[in-house]
Amino acid sequence: MGGNLDWSVLLGEAGHLLAKGAVVTLELSAVSLVLALVLGFLVGVARWSSIGPLKPFCWLYVEFLRNTPPLVQILFWYFSATVILPNSVLLALRHYGFPFAAAAFALGLYHSGFIAEIVRGGLNAIPRGQYEAAEAIGFSLPQTVWSILLPQLLRLIAPTLVSEAVSLIKNTSLALAIGVTEITYEARYIDYSAFRGVEALAAITVFYLVLCLAIATLGHLLQRWLSRNRRRLA
Amino acid sequence: MNWHLVLSPDNIRRLLIGDYPVALGGVALTLVLSLLGMVLATLLGLLIGYLRFAGTRPLRWLAAGYVEVLRNIPLLVLVFWAYFAPPYFGYEPSKFVSVLVALTLFNAAYIAEVVRSGLLSVSVGQAEAARALGLSPFQQALYIMLPIAGFNTVPAMTGRYITLLKGTSLAFLIGLSEVTEIGRQINNRLLIAPVEVYATLLAIYFCLNRSISAGMRLLEDRRRFNRLFCRFAR
Repeated sequence: MGGNLDWSVLLGEAGHLLAKGAVVTLELSAVSLVLALVLGFLVGVARWSSIGPLKPFCWLYVEFLRNTPPLVQILFWYFSATVILPNSVLLALRHYGFPFAAAAFALGLYHSGFIAEIVRGGLNAIPRGQYEAAEAIGFSLPQTVWSILLPQLLRLIAPTLVSEAVSLIKNTSLALAIGVTEITYEARYIDYSAFRGVEALAAITVFYLVLCLAIATLGHLLQRWLSRNRRRLA
Repeated sequence: MNWHLVLSPDNIRRLLIGDYPVALGGVALTLVLSLLGMVLATLLGLLIGYLRFAGTRPLRWLAAGYVEVLRNIPLLVLVFWAYFAPPYFGYEPSKFVSVLVALTLFNAAYIAEVVRSGLLSVSVGQAEAARALGLSPFQQALYIMLPIAGFNTVPAMTGRYITLLKGTSLAFLIGLSEVTEIGRQINNRLLIAPVEVYATLLAIYFCLNRSISAGMRLLEDRRRFNRLFCRFAR
């Protein structure tokens, strides 16, 4: 039975490994989140605007990324990069840890498909009258975007964006498939090297739980902050 | 390009059914896992969602706790719990059962939320009418609330089922020979055609998920939905 669980291992070498893994998980999450947000906003706006030639491309982009498993996408980019990318780029990436770069790219791309749809949905939900009103009172385009479009868009999509960020953090665990030493990888390592799998799994479960709930709470606060002027304006 | 190497008759057969007479694998195993996972996760999700909506207070808290915990840890961690933890307690689980249990528990949490939002969308009048007719709480749930909520949640369920199917790819990380694992084996044997192998996998998953969307769209017809799931209503 589980009488031989020894939680003190988490204070020693195993805990050190998990802490290193946690840092990699956070780094990977941050890099892919930035990539996902940038690409997602670009594609989302492109899908929303009715620029003809972009439409089929954006449709394929979103549908393909959303309908294939993130794990297979990570493997695809990892194994295909050596064929697709020129050698000079590969050498430059090696400096940063090639698996990390591949995982960050794959996860960023995967979640950009979802963020694009969130952004498009948000933009569609802003009534036409808002732009017409902005035009009528003589706002320039940057002014319209900055003070009419963005505040409303962010307020609308902040909750979904935050749950997408949580989903991204959870998906960083898949990077262990290509040897990124994030926290789940370290837990597996502790399992087969020190036979402390249950303790390690419990530790990373708590880690993910606390991290994701913290992000969700921050998102809730952000949502309240974004809606602070709502009543006054309405 | 080396498509002829990747898409040889033997490889196609392995991708579709694995080493069938010996062990079922490939797309067939992915489908078996997904379909079983869908049925089990939906049943558990219905139960938890209903408890969170209409249970007594301790049951509601229990259901809410389940949803919050399961939604905030990665599916991969759950798969590892289901496969690597039981041996520490003297039980050797099969790979198939481990993945199925993890998929079911994980997706049930999301489906519970879908079900709960569906139940909230049932108009107050319908719920009151059910009570006024003197139906027992069980009859209210079975004949009135769940059929209405079920129909309202078909689009959201489509998304959950697609996520579930994508999740089956994690099975390869514990060595279950579903389609991703077969693809990995083919890639390891060929070594010179990673782009082709993983593009094939992506295409397979894309087709499977589009089929789910197409199948679920058929259920968005209320008469068809009722004929399939509400036989008792006639």
